[in-house]
Parts: sequence; structure tokens; C-alpha cells
Amino acid sequence: MSTVSTHCPYCALQCAQALTPGPTGVEVTGRQFPTNRGGLCQKGWTSASVLRAPDRLTAPLVRGVDGELAETTWEVALDLVAERLRAMRAEHGADAVAVFGGGGLTNEKAYQLGKFARVALGTANIDYNGRFCMSSAAAAANRSLGIDRGLPFPLTDVGGAQAVLLLGSNLAETMPPAVAHLAGARAAGGLVVVDPRVSATASLTDDGQGLHLQPVPGTDLCVLLGLLHVVLAEGLDDTAYVSERTTGVDDTRRLAATWWPERVEQVSGVPAALLRETARLLAAASPARGGSGAYVLTGRGVEQSSQGTATVNAAINLALALGLPGRVGSGWGAVTGQGNGQGGREHGQKSDQLPGYRMVDDPGARAHVAGVWGVDPATLPGKGRPAVELLDSLGREGGPRALLVHGANLRVSAPNARHVAARLDALDLLVVCDVVPSETALRADVVLPVLQWAEEEGTMTSLEGRVLRRRKAIDPPPGPRSELEVWRELAARLEAPGTWDTDAALVFDELARASAGGRADYGGLSHARLDAEPDLFWPCPATDGTPHPGTPRLFLDGFPTPDGRARFVPVDDRGPAEDVRAGAPAHLVTGRVLQHYQSGAQTRRVDELVAASPGAFVEIHPRLADLHGIGAGDLVRLTSVRGSVAAPARVTDRVRPDTVFMPFHWPGEESVNAVTNDATDPVSGMPEFKVCAVTVSRAEARRDCPGAPVPTVNVTVTTAEVPA
Amino acid sequence: MRLVVIGNGMVGSRFVEDLLARDTAGKYDVTVVGAEGCEPYNRVLLSEVVAGRHDLASLTLPTPDHPRLTVLRGTTATGIDREDRIVTTDDGTRHRYDQLVLATGASARIPPLAGLDTGSDHLPLGVHALRTIDDAREVVAATLNARRAVVLGAGVLGIEAASGLAQRGCAVTVVHPMEALMERQLDGAASRVLAAVMPRAGIEPRTGTGAEAAIVADGRLTGIRLTGGEVVESELLLLATGTVANTSIASASGLPCERGVLVDDASATEDPRVFAIGDCAQPPDGAMGLVAQGWEQARALAERLTGATGRRRVGASGSNDVVRVKAKGLDVVTMGVCGGMRPDDPTHRALSLSDPAAGRHVEVVVADGRLVGATCVGAGPVAADLVAAYTRGTQVPSDPAHLLLPALAPASTDGAVPSGGDTTVCRCNGVTRDEIAHAHADGARDVHDVARATRATTGCGGCTQDVCDLLERLGARSGTGSPDRDLTVAGSPV
Repeated sequence: MSTVSTHCPYCALQCAQALTPGPTGVEVTGRQFPTNRGGLCQKGWTSASVLRAPDRLTAPLVRGVDGELAETTWEVALDLVAERLRAMRAEHGADAVAVFGGGGLTNEKAYQLGKFARVALGTANIDYNGRFCMSSAAAAANRSLGIDRGLPFPLTDVGGAQAVLLLGSNLAETMPPAVAHLAGARAAGGLVVVDPRVSATASLTDDGQGLHLQPVPGTDLCVLLGLLHVVLAEGLDDTAYVSERTTGVDDTRRLAATWWPERVEQVSGVPAALLRETARLLAAASPARGGSGAYVLTGRGVEQSSQGTATVNAAINLALALGLPGRVGSGWGAVTGQGNGQGGREHGQKSDQLPGYRMVDDPGARAHVAGVWGVDPATLPGKGRPAVELLDSLGREGGPRALLVHGANLRVSAPNARHVAARLDALDLLVVCDVVPSETALRADVVLPVLQWAEEEGTMTSLEGRVLRRRKAIDPPPGPRSELEVWRELAARLEAPGTWDTDAALVFDELARASAGGRADYGGLSHARLDAEPDLFWPCPATDGTPHPGTPRLFLDGFPTPDGRARFVPVDDRGPAEDVRAGAPAHLVTGRVLQHYQSGAQTRRVDELVAASPGAFVEIHPRLADLHGIGAGDLVRLTSVRGSVAAPARVTDRVRPDTVFMPFHWPGEESVNAVTNDATDPVSGMPEFKVCAVTVSRAEARRDCPGAPVPTVNVTVTTAEVPA
Repeated sequence: MRLVVIGNGMVGSRFVEDLLARDTAGKYDVTVVGAEGCEPYNRVLLSEVVAGRHDLASLTLPTPDHPRLTVLRGTTATGIDREDRIVTTDDGTRHRYDQLVLATGASARIPPLAGLDTGSDHLPLGVHALRTIDDAREVVAATLNARRAVVLGAGVLGIEAASGLAQRGCAVTVVHPMEALMERQLDGAASRVLAAVMPRAGIEPRTGTGAEAAIVADGRLTGIRLTGGEVVESELLLLATGTVANTSIASASGLPCERGVLVDDASATEDPRVFAIGDCAQPPDGAMGLVAQGWEQARALAERLTGATGRRRVGASGSNDVVRVKAKGLDVVTMGVCGGMRPDDPTHRALSLSDPAAGRHVEVVVADGRLVGATCVGAGPVAADLVAAYTRGTQVPSDPAHLLLPALAPASTDGAVPSGGDTTVCRCNGVTRDEIAHAHADGARDVHDVARATRATTGCGGCTQDVCDLLERLGARSGTGSPDRDLTVAGSPV
């Protein structure tokens, strides 16, 4: 095979790559593209290693009477799954079978999974791990701007801005090549990072390149209300924009009047003077004041909160007051995390949505989609349970008794993970499709081996709403099958109506028809067109004549709301679900390291990444460490009411003295999600990963010292062997 | 149930908002009687209006639009008949209640100063209080014709108002009869540091001296005579001499009042149907005159009356005595145990850092491993950290002296050319200095060569300059063939 142009398997930046299979493996190189400009991070460069993971799943596994997983044939495994599902449905009803998807699935798979759940299984109970990532940003954008596209503008636009306010995003670690687009703001001294840690991203503001606001965890909403307060109090708002393009500013203005900077300082620990300086910096960059543009960008740090939707709405309110959204060179956006975190939320994996962002309880939407699927709209189930509620209901009276998991490693990635593990263990049947034996797959009753990125065709929609082609570079090893094939086989065994294509191009064509007329309209797109035009952003509806050029920038002519105006949504602070108290005096925040992705199921199988980042750790301030007699490298135990975790200490003043930080990529004893809170946002159902209260103690004396410089790694380009 | 609220200020309006949000069962029909003709506004920010830092229109507070709510603005309650449970208003209307909430607030105290006819409602031209939005408008208008201003009283409001007037271009003198400025919050040492920096903000402090008379000519202020006889010429006098709780209507109805309407910890008066919250109330531990206390009372009463508890920020209660002066160039924050008049407590451990030359004074008071008080003048971000520690009751460091100074800047090498050979140069790809040196030894001469060999610079690109610098040094060394001291960094020759 020759060199293939595709995109990285990991995050939502979807850096462009060229894969060249050779006699000894697949060579990865960065490819010029507007977003990554040829760059890749260490994860991207080493991504081919996962193709030859030594423990790659190649045969279906079924748990035998001895309690062990044993290899079997596809026929046996599929027959077994279908038979069990059919029996369960007959005995307990269709909703007794649930489906859990992932934001890493291609658009085609995300779409087909939603269809499979509703048509073949007839269950309302489908949701996905994007509920953990993007649901608050989505809910906030929908209620304010009328549509949810993470960045409603090309990422390259950010490069021209004079100011960028980045809240709860550590993109210097999570998507390093994106940092290049902050260069303009940094040169203008206009990068403002809001993070309780001096993260790698916060350090980008050093030396006059911007400001770092280091709030107490769980107070981001107050910070945003304070910034809005200053903008309105000092008359820095864009009054013409607000009166012509928005509604509802009055209630929001009144609420902001209750959050003057000194009050915000008391709650957040961010000095009032710094809040004023930030507001003025943003205003000076706004188009109304002659600036070259300003962006307000949110990430999981502020969204994974039980008031995440309100926080994002506060960010949008600030952007609206400054007159940013819908203007070239300015705006609000959410920095999507998972590889297909954008596309994955558009096409029917969500418990309340059908393809194209259609709502499952909208009769018109049901009729349209049922028409494409060739079924009676009345047979489509209604709203299912959102992820945290769904997982909690597993194996309970009236809850699902079987779960199919695709593209998720719940035992590591779900909040309050020990509880989730117990619910998974309570199921009668757990079926996991995966590439490697993930922690969740190892506890399944049936494991089905599937294809990975370079072995399949499909599309991904990046953080900026650009639809990208994922292309096959190598043949998969014998054994694994595409999930599209798995669903066709199961649908046939379940005697489901409709067509179940296995060619991704055909599935995409069906997706395009199903999404047509919806908010995320892919009607004018096809694999063939995407192959010819790599810069198409949705919505891109079908046309009779000249093809629609796609929509790089939303809102330039208006907002997709009934009156065409954006809405100020008045939001107030309620505080985190769990605040520090005498018995749990430290805040815990979680996040990522550069070398690992999500639950680490892929990256923990890459030697180079493991060498650079071998295990979990706890960042702890010298004062807090001293208080508990903790030295660098000592094992630190963090305990919340849900569980506890232990990892070696990194003593550093890059974290607040009242806060500890731990990355979440590791399983078992090092899984911080055993401790995190599964309290959810009332609007989005998103859990509060990012703040909870813990006790800190020293578990034992030091072992190795992770504060020491990272080990030297071999930097020759890794090449993956082409499987036979 | 008929619920009548007298007072539509910051606390009364917040109470109504909290109550209706929690009254999901529709138990209450609410009538609010508010003397001011305007919507409720944020009184805390009036000094900011004087300073020209705050737009008047953005002071307006939330008012619920609710079918079971009637708001009577510009209407004054004239009497309470507790036997028949009726509130009468100045328009002659009678409002029957099942429960009554008094949120009548407080008024500016007008000191008994010669020249001020304290019997009448009218102050001489040029003499103002700063309690209402109308006061703020008048003060702002008065600054147009005033070059010199005197503020009487150096409490929090006095200092903030003085700062505001100075920002309007007035030469301001603050006259304060006590020895310490803000004596409730600052002890002598802290006060002296503050007094020393005030002239830089355009304010002349005069402590230990009271005012004796306002000198008025043709109905207009011309100056102030101090107790020593000295006359300070001034076209504007701002009275910041405290407040008086508005208790007359409660008192006339027979409710026990001292400095305020006497209430228990749950805001209940002697009459089980009548409650008092905010500045008009006097709870067992006393009123602090801070809105945080009133808002906390409003929330608690709303929860009590509806039986519904809402989520709220822990730490927002019990710590509502944080005082933060809003004055440009004057950085004063206090909390908990502070001020020169506090009683001695042997369990308290007080540590301070006094640095008058730099305009800085920080004191922390620690008890039982917790921060129980602090005084910060010119302390910058340290104050914000102390507030966070105080409000959440987080454990103090084993040596509380660490609280007095900000943590030193991280001793990181971010952005600098790294030193040791095993130091990471390219974070995105984990490439060390040694690896780049090896690539150079293998023939890599520019950034592209290094990128090809090691992937350095191919992530975020932030290390490109570092790699160039490193190559330059490596090239210089290999070019001359003689070791140069500059090439040996931190004992690690390349």
C-alpha cells in the first residue's frame, strides 16, 4: 500500500497525518493542514504502535462456565449475543437492553449505533461517553445560540485575535499543535488562562504574554459573572450588538450586578484587580472598541461540573456582551476533546437525539428519520436515560439487564468508577466491542474484537465542525471485524427491518439523508466529495445545483433561534455539589498529561509514551505536603466519600495550596475516578468530574521519584509492523 | 398564605427572590412595600458610582416577575397592626398578612454637628450622605463644583467615598475622631500603614480629630471646623458616620428594638408572625452592616418559610464578615479576628509582617489549625489567598508564617534554554537536550534536521527558538573546536 492521507486517532484536533506502510511497519508523518500545520504531539507520532499492540484482540471471547474468557468463533459469539438479547427483550421488554457509545467512534459508527439501538433493539436506553465531555457545552450553546458546534469558526481564525480567554482547557498538553493558534494573542499580551493550576497552558501567559487567573476549584462561574459585571459596570459592552443581535440582557445584567469583583474575589480567590484587568483586556480586543478580535473558549475544566451548563452560559453571556459571536475574528467556542466528540454527538448516540441533532420527542423529526430508516415512526422509542443515570440503573429493578459498549472504557473513565464497576458487574450480560482488552472488556461476558483507525474508512468531525476523512492504510489482522459488520450480523439475527450497510461510504450517504434538514445537516456531503474537498464544515445541506460550500463560520447573518437573536441566559452560582469541609479539606481536580489519552487503553500500550509517563501522580503544594509529612515521591492517598486512590507525590507550587491534582489515565489502584463525584448538571446530565472534596494523607514512604526529570526515551521513529 | 415584605432593598428583594424560587407549591402570595420609587439596586456599589467606575444602570438587582408577587414601589408603610395583622401604607391601603418580613434597612446617621439642622430633612447645599442612589447622583453632581471635599468618618464607606471623590478630581480630607482608620477592622499598626499610602491616592487622613461644625454661608457649605478649631475649607462634605437601623415602624407596633429590631438566630421577632432581616435587624451576635449577612438571613428565612432547602455554596455562610475596601490604590482586606479593639484570646496566635515603607502590613490570626482572622493592607494576591483559606476553613500550614507571603514564583525553566543534558527541550515530544546534541553530532544542522531526527519542535512549536539557540551553541563549539565556557551550562558540557 502507498502513503495514505488521514488524521490522528486521538483527540478532537484530528491532526493530519500521512501513514506509509512499509515492510517493517507503518511510518507516521505529520501532514500540512490548517489546524496542525504539519505538527504532531508525541501521541500522534507514536500512534502506529497501537496497530501492533501485543495483546490486540483478534478473536471473539466468551466467558465460560469456569468464569474465564475464552476464544470462540464469530458465529458462536454473535449467535449467543443475539439469542441472549432476544430472550431478555421477550422477558423484560426492549428497554432491558442498553447501549453505551463513544465519542471516538466515526460518524458512520455513531450513526449506525443509534439506529441499531432504536430499530434493531427497540430500546430507548442509549447514551455515550460524550455525556461526560460535551453535554454541558452543547446544552448551553443550544439554549443561547440555537445550535451546538464546538467552535462555530475555523480554528485558524483564533490566530488573528488580540485576546483569548481560555477557561478550563489545558490544550498545551491535550492538543499541543493547537497552541500555535494562540501566538497572536500571546504576542499582544492577550492570552488569559483560567485554571486552578499553573498548567503548561497557564505558563503560556508568562513574561507578559497574558494573564493567569488561578481560582479555587468550582468557582469558575463566579469568575465569569465577575468579568461580566466589570464589562457592564464600566460600560465596556457592545451596546449596538446587544440591542440588535441579542435578547434577554436585562435579567443577566441584574444578576451580574450581584457579583461585583470584590465579592467574586471572596469566593474565587482571584484578586478583584485581576478581574478588572481581564475584563478590560478582553474589551479592548473586542471589535466594538477597535480591537482585532477576542475569543472566549471553554473546556472540560469548567464544563465537567454540576453547574457546567450555567458556567458555559455565563461564558457565552460574556461573549455576547462584548459583541463577539457571529463576527469574523471573534466569538465563543467550546474546545471539544474526544476524537469525534463533535460528530459523535450529532448523529443519534445521545439518549434524547436522532441524527442531525433532531430531538427524539419531536414528531416531525421522528417521522423524517423513520422514513430514512424504513420503519413506522411509532416504533421508535422515546427519550432514554442520560449516561450517569443509565449506568446507575444497570442491573437494578426496572433497569437494563444487558449492556453493549462501543468505544468506551467505563471502568476507568466513568465518575465514581467503583460504583459504576459494581453496576456493570450486576448485569446479566455485558458485551464489549474493543480493539484491546481494556479494563471494561476484561470484565465482559462477551468481547468482540473490532477494527481500529488505520484499518477502516470513515469520517470524523473535528472540534471546528470540519468533516474529515479517516482512511484505511493497512489491512487489519485476521479476526477483528468492523462494528458496522457486527451490527449487520446482529440486526439480521434479531430480524430487524431496514438496511444495514457495512461500507462506510454507504452508511455515510444514509447519515446524510437522515441528517438533512436537521441542525447538523450533512445532506450535501459524501465520502467522494470529502475526498475532493478537505475543508467542508457543516451545515452543508444538499442542493439541486451548485453544491453548498459548507459553513466555516456560523452566526454571521443571524442565530438559528426563532427570532434570529442570541439569548442571554441568566445564570447564578450554586457552588459545587461537594465543597471542602472539616472532614475533607482539600479540593481534588483531575486532568490529563500530554502522553496519554482518555482511559489510556491505547496510549498505555505504547512503550515510548509509557516510558515518558509511566504512571499516575498527585500534584500537591509544598505547604499542604508539609502539613501531612509528604515528601516528593511519597505515596499519597486521596479519599472522598466514594472511594480512595493512591499515587506518588509531585510536590510543586504549580497547584494551589488548597488543591491537589491527579491525572485520570490509569486503572485500578491508580484510578482517580474512584474518588470523583457523579453528581450531575440538572440541564445536561454531565457529571462533576472536576471538583470534589478529599482528605489527603501519606500512604507510605517514597518509592520512585516522579518529580525527577522524565526518563530518556528512544526517539527513533517508531514503525509498526504490518500484520500478516 | 399572605406574606408582606416591608422593604425592597438589597435584602428584601433577595428574600423575595429566594422565597419564590423555593415556594414550588405556591404556598405564598407576596406583597412587597418599597419606599424607594426605583427598582432594587446594589447599594454596595454606590461608592463605585461616585468614583466613576460604575454605570448607574448596571446597579439594578434581579426582581422576580411572578404571578403571585405584587411589588408596590414608592409606597411607604406607615403602620403595623399586629393584632389584626395589617400593614397600612401611605396611600391608605391596608394589607393583611399571615406573615410579615421587615427589611426596612438603615439610614445614614447624621451627626449632631453645628451647622447641620438635624431636625429637618434638608442638609445644607454641599453636605451629603451616601446611602441611596439619589445620594450618589447628588454627590456626583456636587463634585462638578467642588475642588475640595471633606469626608467625615473613616470607616469602610468613608474610605471608599474619599477614594471616589479623589478620582473625581477633588482634594479630599478624611476626618476621623478615632486614632485608627477603620478601627473596627484595623489596629494602630495597620491603620498607620494605610494612612501613609492614602496621600498617594489623593486623600489626606486626619485621625484623632473630630468635626465640630459645618460652616455654612448662604445655605452653602464653605468649610469644616475641626474640634481643635482648625478650619478645613471645602465645598463638599460627605457624611460617612455610620447608619441607624430603620426601626420606627417596628417600634411603634410594640416590637422590642434596641439598635435594631431584636431577632433570634432565625430572624424571628418576639411575634411569631413577624421576622426582620438585613440592616434593620439586630440578631444575638449583632449586625455587621455587611450585605453578605443580610443575604444569608434572607436565604435562611426563605428556606424556613418554605421548608425547601436549596444548594448553596458552603463557606458563604459563617464567613460573611470579610471586608474588602473598594478604593483605587488602597488595598485593604480584613476578616474575622481583626482590629485594635478585639479582646485578647489566649488560644489565638497572631503573626504579622509589617513593612510600612512598602505600604504593606499583613497579620494572620490562627487558632486550632485554622485561620480565624486576618488584616491585609497592601498585601496584593496574598489577601485573596487568605480569604479563600478563611472562608473554607482550610488547614493552615504547619508554620503559619508561610501565610504572610505569596509563594515564590515556580523555579521552572519554562521558556528558558534548559540546562542539564537530560532536561526536556520539546515537551510535546519528550525530546531532551542530549538527544538534540546527538542529532547534531549525527549531522543535524538546522531545525528541520532536528525535527526529522527527534520530532522536537513538531508539536506546539514553542521550543523552536530553544532548539535554534542550542544548535547555535553546538555549532559554535564544533566550529571552533575549543571548549567555550558559555557552552558549559550547569556543569553539563554539550
